[in-house]
Amino acid sequence: MTAYILRRLWQMIPTLAGVILLIFFLFKFFGGDPAQILAGQVASQEQIDAIRQQLGLDRPWYVQLGIFVRDIFSFDFGKSWMTREQVSEIFVTRLPATLTITLPILILEVALAIPVAMLVAYHRGTLLDRLVIAICVAAMSISFLVYIIVGQYVFGFELGWFPVQGWSDSFWRNLVTYAPLPILLAALVGLAPQTRLYRSFFLDETKSDYVRTARAKGLSDAAILRRHVLPNAMVPVLTNVALLLPGVFVGSFLLEIFFSIPGLGREVYIAVNRSDYPVIQAFTVYLAVLTMLINLGADVLYRLVDPRIQLT
Amino acid sequence: MAAVLDIVPENAWLALWRRLQQDRIGAFSLGIVIVYLVMILFAMAGLLAGGWSEEIGVPYANPSFLGERPNLEAALAQRAAQRQGRVPDLTAVDPLAPKYAEWEKRTAELKTGERERSLTLRWGGDRWGRDVLAKAIKGSQVSIAVGVFAALCATFIGTLLGALGGFYGRWVNDSLEWVYNVFTSIPSILLVFSLAAVLRSGVLAHLFASGIWTVVIILAVTGWTGMYRLVRAEYMKHRSREYVLAAQAIGASAASRMFVHILPNVSHVVLVQLSLLVVAFIKVEVILSFLGLGVPVDMVSWGTMLGEAQTELVIGKWWQLAAATVFMAIFLTAFSMLTDSLRDALDPKLR
Amino acid sequence: MSALVTVRDLRVSFRLGRERTLEAVRGVHFTVREDATLALVGESGSGKTVSAMSILRLLPENAVVHPASRVEYAGENLLSAPAPRLRALRGREISAVFQEPMSSLNPVLTVGEQVAEVLRLHRRMSARAALERAAELLAEVGIPEPRARLRSYPHELSGGQQQRVMIAMAIANEPKLLIADEPTTALDVTVQRQVLELIARLRERHRMSVLFISHDLGLVGEIADDVVVMRDGVVRESGPVARIFHAPQDAYTKALLACRPRLEARPRRLPVIDDFMRGRTPPAAPLERPPAGAPVMQAKQLRKEFRLRTGLFASKALVAVSDVSFDVARGRTVGLVGESGSGKTTVALLALRLLDPSAGEARLDGADLARLTPGRMLPFRRRIQIVFQNPYASLNPRRTIGRTLVEPMRIHGLGASESERYERARRLLERVGLPADAMQRYPHEFSGGQRQRIAIARALAVEPEVLVCDEPVSALDVSVQATVLNLLLDLQESLGLAYLFISHDLAVVKYMSDEVLVMRAGEVVERGTPEAIFASPQHEYTRKLIAAIPRGYSKSGSEP
Repeated sequence: MTAYILRRLWQMIPTLAGVILLIFFLFKFFGGDPAQILAGQVASQEQIDAIRQQLGLDRPWYVQLGIFVRDIFSFDFGKSWMTREQVSEIFVTRLPATLTITLPILILEVALAIPVAMLVAYHRGTLLDRLVIAICVAAMSISFLVYIIVGQYVFGFELGWFPVQGWSDSFWRNLVTYAPLPILLAALVGLAPQTRLYRSFFLDETKSDYVRTARAKGLSDAAILRRHVLPNAMVPVLTNVALLLPGVFVGSFLLEIFFSIPGLGREVYIAVNRSDYPVIQAFTVYLAVLTMLINLGADVLYRLVDPRIQLT
Repeated sequence: MAAVLDIVPENAWLALWRRLQQDRIGAFSLGIVIVYLVMILFAMAGLLAGGWSEEIGVPYANPSFLGERPNLEAALAQRAAQRQGRVPDLTAVDPLAPKYAEWEKRTAELKTGERERSLTLRWGGDRWGRDVLAKAIKGSQVSIAVGVFAALCATFIGTLLGALGGFYGRWVNDSLEWVYNVFTSIPSILLVFSLAAVLRSGVLAHLFASGIWTVVIILAVTGWTGMYRLVRAEYMKHRSREYVLAAQAIGASAASRMFVHILPNVSHVVLVQLSLLVVAFIKVEVILSFLGLGVPVDMVSWGTMLGEAQTELVIGKWWQLAAATVFMAIFLTAFSMLTDSLRDALDPKLR
Repeated sequence: MSALVTVRDLRVSFRLGRERTLEAVRGVHFTVREDATLALVGESGSGKTVSAMSILRLLPENAVVHPASRVEYAGENLLSAPAPRLRALRGREISAVFQEPMSSLNPVLTVGEQVAEVLRLHRRMSARAALERAAELLAEVGIPEPRARLRSYPHELSGGQQQRVMIAMAIANEPKLLIADEPTTALDVTVQRQVLELIARLRERHRMSVLFISHDLGLVGEIADDVVVMRDGVVRESGPVARIFHAPQDAYTKALLACRPRLEARPRRLPVIDDFMRGRTPPAAPLERPPAGAPVMQAKQLRKEFRLRTGLFASKALVAVSDVSFDVARGRTVGLVGESGSGKTTVALLALRLLDPSAGEARLDGADLARLTPGRMLPFRRRIQIVFQNPYASLNPRRTIGRTLVEPMRIHGLGASESERYERARRLLERVGLPADAMQRYPHEFSGGQRQRIAIARALAVEPEVLVCDEPVSALDVSVQATVLNLLLDLQESLGLAYLFISHDLAVVKYMSDEVLVMRAGEVVERGTPEAIFASPQHEYTRKLIAAIPRGYSKSGSEP
């Protein structure tokens, strides 16, 4: 197990190097002249030159790459070009708000999708099954934007059940007052694709030979679904959850923009609009590292549900 | 028993056609998709919704079936126009308007014609009195074109790389896997945002300033990984299949085995994934355009329509939102159903 | 002895889409006697499994049982029994064992949980008592260290042990009837024998009845008391095993008995089903073999390793083939026999350089193939060809037979024009016994035996000197095997082909070969003429292989 984790960590090094190179060269070669962007349209040549020198842009590209790498590993990405805030500071202060809404969304949609999917898989081929699937397909065809726009309008403006937008410094106040509307909207929207997917996992398993064995033992259909199919279907379900997990960091950017939640996603969006390159670069690299670590954690957890997997 | 149920794989395209003839939902969905495609062709040729950008109604003109509804905004605008002798130019508040002068000129040209602005439009008007129905049709053209072109590009990249990696294995596979790992370890929305930032203000900005190609490139560069993974897995499976070994034994070259022998046998996987990508990319395009990172401001897509709809809804003007939503939902539902039928018809396991 | 289960006028069809249905079983009768073994024998598509599974109503969802059909068990028609009654019977009075033990066990539950489940369900045993009993059952079916195995997962057991677990589950509640659906087919030949003996022993000890389903009449002869021969959904013949073997009435039964190669005789051609159905007597002249000449193909100390990564930097070499040498001369056949995992297919791939050897040489006409550049390899590709085991996988499903046959000629520039190549392809089809209109058709339109003929035609398209046959008949029904083997012999005789013939089936290899190599775990453990190997096998493993060959019914067989 330890050897496995060490090997996986070792294998991350080339991937991380790739991410750093990709981000560096993307912005270096296609990103235009940061000094120009930073100084604005009306800056004089002296101002631009001063900024170039300050940012080290007058040095050869490999020196700049070296600086970029050093910044990453020292967690010092300098300051946002626009707000002069320390980038690592931005990351740490925006993360809690994001997680306050993304983690409940993930938990809710998975916890609701599994029983619903099991129910329709049990009644496969019936009217109920077809109805639920048709609703899922139709629900998935409507843009998430529409759900947010209408949801915010109806439940915030018209009915006044929830505040239209806002955020506070208290975690509990946020969770109870500001977060419920975005959480419920996103969880309900996420339910449709999850249900459809999980249903197919359950149906795939019901075609297996071991289900026939269980029937030959005299088990009822409900018992087969619960005792034999469910543990097997959890393997692809967990694979899917592992795929969704890295989304907890920036997956909620639309919600954050609409509901004025000071999270990571909104910060990136603002940075893109302002061409605030240090923020985008740093967030991308750090979130890539976090994603890799989460994937490793998920792979280790697989061992718990699927005895066939050996971590060597 | 297994042999009884082993319905042998026939010519897949023939099977698909036969299946669609039996599958009523599939055939109906295909019909709707064809209607959309015809509509798009007409819109491209300018026969339909060519004048979507003309301001033919009063601001927020009511839908004709709600003709009696009071239209405060239009009345206000009219009063202001009477006072100042001209229609107030609301575009002035638009901060993103490098095209502003051009629009002003066009507005001026239109005004010299002094067309009578109608109080109602078929499905209502937007803030500038443009026909929402025409916008929705033109928007369909743009959104669907973005989705389809981006999906084709992503499919090309993913299929080519997946074929190479899966077929050759060893170092080819290792290096492509490295590229894949790099791309997938970056959360996709961040990659999209990074590319959007670079393509909007970087050195390539003027190259893609107009048209849909910025979005198409963003989507293709970020969206090929799933296709790569699937095609690679298929190629790994097929390269040691006996029919491929037999082709090698008769002396067929690697390229021939890869693209002449294997590709037709994995094409159903590619086709289904391609359709799934179209749906996914259309959804992303809508969000990007909504955020102002998608199609340029002088074009209309379902996303830009939704962008306007947010503020309209607060003052009770729901029709643009409804139009964009309905056009999009019908197309995506039909397309998804068609994809399902396609998958069922082509999946050798289900046949 | 009285009847335990009687199946009367069973008709089962399958819905295949909106309008199409397929009648799998068309009016089948049979009776399973108490304390006896009834064997249902038939080839694929005969409806034997569907008939047996109808007893427990374990049929796929698209199956429709005709309302007039009856399955009588203790005075009750099981086909109209309510679901709860059926569930009470399943696993308690009637239980089942299936063909694929690996997939028939739940992969994420332990062996103990799965065996205990059937006890807790029908006997209301406590968890502890059920596990205790499960350990005893595992001991009874011959699993070593049963207590430790309770906590194992199915993938940690060998195929034979998995099947033993399935059997332990099936006999846990002392059922009256055990339905065994090809329980040994997925296992290696040496393991097959052990599982077969286990079932026979348990049947006797528990005084239960067994409904044994098999495609292999020889195997059935050793275990059954009564035999039902099925074909195309109907019963061709049924009766006590002695009569079926000694005085078969039906032509099809006679053919099944005759068309397997026999160990003691080597006729010039194998009798085929058509001979019996049309009442012809097959020729009995012995097979004549040409003398050994100069070798066309030589393998010298072939070795193949695959590297498995085991740690950060470490990797382990997995030796698939080591030190294999043989010579094949024109018109002669070298046979390679071994179980799965013995490395015999790897040898085939090395011989054609579809894999590169780690060491050793594969020579064709003196040239070491492994040292040739791809450009210089091409002319040699023409001279050595291969026929694979699975005719469903070896033909490209998306191309017509014509295209498949013409492509090799085009690559090697055979035939002056495209039309000439198509003409040659038509002649090839004729040669392997297929109609010329096959040219425009797709592989799925042909049966397994026909596809194997097409695969042979493709190999012959480039006029090779050496043909490697990798299990060419293993995926085919017994009655079809003989026709394909006869075809291979005809072609060898008329074209002077050299064969490397690979099979797990000792009887087939013995019939076909001039020299036999017995392989085990990548190594050749014994070699010699087929007669010598069978008369006096030297290696322990060879003796086991020979002992595992089903011998059919004999007085000293299973009858007490």
